[in-house]
Amino acid sequence: MATRKRSTSKTKPPDAARAPRPAGRRAQNKAAIRTRIVTAALDLFQTKGFEATTTREVARKAGIAEGTVFNYFKTKEDIALSFFEQEVDHAIATVRGDPRLRKAPLEEKLFALVQSQLDFLAPYERFIGAAVIQALKPTSRLSPFSHRAQELRHRYVGFVQELIEDSLPKHRHGALTWVAPEAFWIYYLGALLYWLHDSSPRKQNTIACLDRSLRIGVAMFKQGKW
Amino acid sequence: MPAKNTPASRALSMASMGVDVAGSYLGYVLQRAFLGGERGKRTLKATHTRAARRILDAMQALRGPAMKLGQTLSLQTGVLPDETLAELATLQMQAPGMHPSLVRVQIKGSLGREPDEIFKTFTADPFAAASLGQVHCAVTRDGTPVAVKVQYPGIGQAIENDFTLFRAASKPAQVSGHVPKAVIDEIQEQIVAETDYGREADNIEFFERGLAPLRFVTVPHVHREYSSDRVLTMSLLPGRHLGDFLARRPSQTLRDRFGAHRFELYHFQVLRLEALHADPHWGNYLFDDDANIGLVDFGCVKYLAPRSVAYLRSIYLYPGAKDSPEFYRLIEKYHAPATGTLTRATRQALVEFTDNFYRKVYPPEAKHQQRPFDFGDPAFLRDYLRGGQDLARTKGVMTDFIFMARAEMGLYQTLHRLRARVLTSQIVRRCLQA
Repeated sequence: MATRKRSTSKTKPPDAARAPRPAGRRAQNKAAIRTRIVTAALDLFQTKGFEATTTREVARKAGIAEGTVFNYFKTKEDIALSFFEQEVDHAIATVRGDPRLRKAPLEEKLFALVQSQLDFLAPYERFIGAAVIQALKPTSRLSPFSHRAQELRHRYVGFVQELIEDSLPKHRHGALTWVAPEAFWIYYLGALLYWLHDSSPRKQNTIACLDRSLRIGVAMFKQGKW
Repeated sequence: MPAKNTPASRALSMASMGVDVAGSYLGYVLQRAFLGGERGKRTLKATHTRAARRILDAMQALRGPAMKLGQTLSLQTGVLPDETLAELATLQMQAPGMHPSLVRVQIKGSLGREPDEIFKTFTADPFAAASLGQVHCAVTRDGTPVAVKVQYPGIGQAIENDFTLFRAASKPAQVSGHVPKAVIDEIQEQIVAETDYGREADNIEFFERGLAPLRFVTVPHVHREYSSDRVLTMSLLPGRHLGDFLARRPSQTLRDRFGAHRFELYHFQVLRLEALHADPHWGNYLFDDDANIGLVDFGCVKYLAPRSVAYLRSIYLYPGAKDSPEFYRLIEKYHAPATGTLTRATRQALVEFTDNFYRKVYPPEAKHQQRPFDFGDPAFLRDYLRGGQDLARTKGVMTDFIFMARAEMGLYQTLHRLRARVLTSQIVRRCLQA
């Protein structure tokens, strides 16, 4: 019995054998520091303004050395871009993970996608306004044409394409299902600008505008009228 | 009369203008051109009523504030045939449908939490359309079934846009006095008031207290803890709509009892409460087998001015001759301060309306106390519509009575559909005496 017990204790339980290896302490620390930097930076971007915030202030607020910030992000813009990556990942995960949306029509899924993006951005509205202006500079890393921003766009557009293809029978997949997600990305940028300038209580006009334009847009798309 | 020049058709041309204006409520309607075969449904039957039918059809499609505007104006401008007008009075102002994600966003934005977090259960599909929103069934954490009315986003702005357009489009009618500015102001004020569900909750509580003496009427109870300016949670009322009620072929006795209750409810509101539920859509009245009435949707409520009620008290059951100097003085005392001077034509229209309609429906003489009025006869409805239109033509419409006229039209349309026989004089006298 004693021998058997020892041998059992040495053998890994079957569940543990299949479970992914937990991230190492070092990796966990790195992720935690990264989050601290982004959180501190966003607070400063929102309260002090994007232009006026320095990496030194970000480091001080995050409770780390300025040099450590550069180990993670080369510039302030990289920190901002990281936030927008989180926004897109959060929105995709929200739509994918919501069982109520599984059988929803395309316009509702797209509405939920944009709405969860805007919900994510809402606490940092002032900073988003500044980031949009920053993104207009061709040399900015936030510019839609920068390498990293392109990667983010591909991820977003790919997910929208997935949603569109799910809503259409296979024989209707084609050039339109390839072009429509790109058009949707431009639509999203327009919606973001509308949202930034919407002064109605609790952004009710943006919600109405999203609902209405998506209904019309999806109906036209499905009828092939564009 | 060419439809092109009527105020109602101007309202429709406003609709086509609305297509280019972002945020206009009318845009929701025009989107139907893309969404369905709405145009295909517009088959018109008789040539002579073609324009009128088109207007009715378009108004049914409009549904929003623009519909109510067109509806209220057309009741008073004589542009539509009688039967169309009668139907029109009971159309509902209805917002476009919301999908479950939009409903969740609206509730979370308004109450701070998702419906699933607030209620024990929340049915994603609406069970009824409401003015400017839709109604969902839910069960509170303590197990109480409730109706949750959720407002469509941005509706206030959409209404404002529509009225800006309408004011511009109807300038000629305003100058000619056929659509006075005061009338547009009154309609806008009422429609804008409907967007505030907080005010509607106040209305419900006012009517809950005020209608308590009428034991046959039930009003929902507001759950303030689950309500805001855009979400209204109320108790669920049992009962069937008029169409379902009539489909069960109710006995004449039951129809008469309903008719009497419906008639008393209206006159009790006007003469005792001095305020009335002014949205006569069929869906707002629920009937049960004991002739009880459930009254819902208090968005459109008209609080009458005391002098208007005093005027009505003096002319209802007026015992003397209508074509007499005494009666003239009575109507002039009320109308002249508002309209300046009362023209001969307006005075004549008022006298004829009172004589041809009210005197017939509830005669003042004591011998008629026990004689029921038969609302199955369509002649009375025709008299009412013609009287109202004559008043409008002679510019004798008082702003305080615009929404009352709509409610009254709904009352008589319902009584006619019920083919009820009601002791009208007795009921009016009772309401006047109290």
